[in-house]
Amino acid sequence: MDKEMHIDPRTGIILLLLSNIIAFAQSVLWVNGSWVCILALLMFLCGCGRSAAKFLTAYLLLLILQYKLIPVAPKFIATSFSIFVNYSIMMYPCIIIGILMIRKTPLRHFIVALRKWHLSTNFIISFSVALRYFPAIREEKGHIWDAMKLRNIHGLQRMECMVLPMMVSAINTADELSAAAVTRGIENPAPKTSLVELNMSILDWIYIGMGFIFVFLAIYIK
Amino acid sequence: MVKIDHVYFGYCRETDTLKDVNLHISAGECVLLCGESGCGKTTVTKLINGLIPHFAENCSLQGEVTAASLDVAQTELYELSKEIGSVFQNPKSQFFNLDTDSELAFALENEGTDPVYIRARLAETVHNLHIEKLQRRNIFSLSGGEKQTLAFASVYAMNPKIFVLDEPSANLDYEAIEHLREQIDVLKAEGHTVIIAEHRLYYLTDFIDRAVYLKNGQIVRSFTHEEFLSMPDEYRVALGLRALKPTSIDLPKVRQEGTELGLSVEGLSFSYGKKVVFKELTFSTSPGEVLAITGPNGAGKTTLIRCLCGLLREQAGTIRLDGKRLKLKGRNKASFCVMQDVNHQLFSDSVWDECKLSSRDCEDEVIERILNDFDLLRFKDKHPMTLSGGQKQRLAVATALVSNKKLLIFDEPTSGLDHAQMMVVSSVVRKLADDGHIVLVVTHDWEFLKCACDRVLELKSYIG
Repeated sequence: MDKEMHIDPRTGIILLLLSNIIAFAQSVLWVNGSWVCILALLMFLCGCGRSAAKFLTAYLLLLILQYKLIPVAPKFIATSFSIFVNYSIMMYPCIIIGILMIRKTPLRHFIVALRKWHLSTNFIISFSVALRYFPAIREEKGHIWDAMKLRNIHGLQRMECMVLPMMVSAINTADELSAAAVTRGIENPAPKTSLVELNMSILDWIYIGMGFIFVFLAIYIK
Repeated sequence: MVKIDHVYFGYCRETDTLKDVNLHISAGECVLLCGESGCGKTTVTKLINGLIPHFAENCSLQGEVTAASLDVAQTELYELSKEIGSVFQNPKSQFFNLDTDSELAFALENEGTDPVYIRARLAETVHNLHIEKLQRRNIFSLSGGEKQTLAFASVYAMNPKIFVLDEPSANLDYEAIEHLREQIDVLKAEGHTVIIAEHRLYYLTDFIDRAVYLKNGQIVRSFTHEEFLSMPDEYRVALGLRALKPTSIDLPKVRQEGTELGLSVEGLSFSYGKKVVFKELTFSTSPGEVLAITGPNGAGKTTLIRCLCGLLREQAGTIRLDGKRLKLKGRNKASFCVMQDVNHQLFSDSVWDECKLSSRDCEDEVIERILNDFDLLRFKDKHPMTLSGGQKQRLAVATALVSNKKLLIFDEPTSGLDHAQMMVVSSVVRKLADDGHIVLVVTHDWEFLKCACDRVLELKSYIG
């Protein structure tokens, strides 16, 4: 699909915040439900049609659980599941928008967005390095896991043995990474430019507008 | 272009890593810094790119360094970085972004360069370095060689006057080194000043104008291009330098037929989904023999050794050790792999405990004997992480012997080693084979291969 739309990372962050407010305002079901549908539509527009369908189906299942099954289920099951189901339904909008951002927004766009909001450079650098570090850790973990299998290390001992190599590699990586960073001018105080141009489109404004309307609904309709 | 005058330097106040170093490099010159490990060649590169003194704490520095008419000690690193580009040895830890395009633009964006210029410069970079296929990729999907190429390109994009390369080939395979060579060629043709600290020399001989030999922190000799190339082999070895010409190998091929004693692999196949890594692989090797496994990136060397070690289940085929078929668990018990990054496989807080961890019931005398064999007994109470790279490697081998492993596999054991260190690894490998172990070595290091291995198994990229 060539003509898929996308949302600005800033819109994503705003929608995530608004969804949180909607979730914790204990909104009535139809407010929550329509907000979920609207966000699923956004997912569809951004080219994640299949995920949108999956998320809607799962939401429907949760609703069935909550309103049809749990009331008639034995008390033991009802009490242990109702909190989980209830909270899942409440948090559902946040999950959808979160997944959409992870799928569709490259890290770099995020950083540019944060810079546009004039957040402190220290925060942005640590944030981006932390995010970059997760996939690296996954790679390392694989190697260390292999090494432990070959040494016949099992069970709880593994947790203990994980620590040393992880620390060593973290220290080395931090050192080398910062050497590479400073020789590429990361400390330059000049305002940074970017190849990425962020533009708020009509879609962004429509969704932010709707977000505020739903916050209003969530708070005032009880 | 670069002037180093009477420099004394120490990482801590007591000892001098560099003593009275004087080096003048003119514009457009390509200078090699060579010498044994720890001779101070990396330290000299840091004097030039400003990591010393800006990025070293508690160091002592005397003397003067200017590069591209900047007084290195008095200039901020981000100012230096506009004129002096640095490429380091570990391709894994030179990235901040998750995709290649962002990485290429990173340095220019930091400088606050106009996006219109950045776009043009990136197009130029991609064209000049022929890295079209690196565009729009996830960095974690790149091979080590591709990562190093990208690191190089991201520095090239800044268009600095001086390039400082610190062992850029240390983690690269043969093909990737070829690529690196072409890139340095481009620098040279464009008139950049290039300073390379390096162990592996054969790929550089065409374009270096001068070779500076360091020993114990001092510049002992300086060779012109002709002097360097006409150096007799005995003299080169005495200096502790690696080969100047590509090593040619005429080792026999691996045996195809099975063997009663040793490792026999019959019809081994593996694929990830639809992508075949290897198919119907058959070979054997006996105790006392060192088998080299070579092949380009992606030919399945890592997959093969993980399969042999019992970390990965084969999809078809049989693996026998001394005639007995071994399944996953059995192979896991019988084999050990010394990994490329040996830091991943040391877990304890002393050398002795490290051995004890491998086998609680191993008798103390046996451990003592093994440690002694590898010249590690005197460090038995030391923390493994305080050992040198070579000692760590030998400790990993010792842990395997303590738990009585038969099949020993080394993954790139000589990357970044000087001549003397390579010879030590080679003698360890030979000794293990002589003691009746089955030894397999994955390596791109032809010089090492020639002096340590008996036969070669060459894996090819599987097409079809």
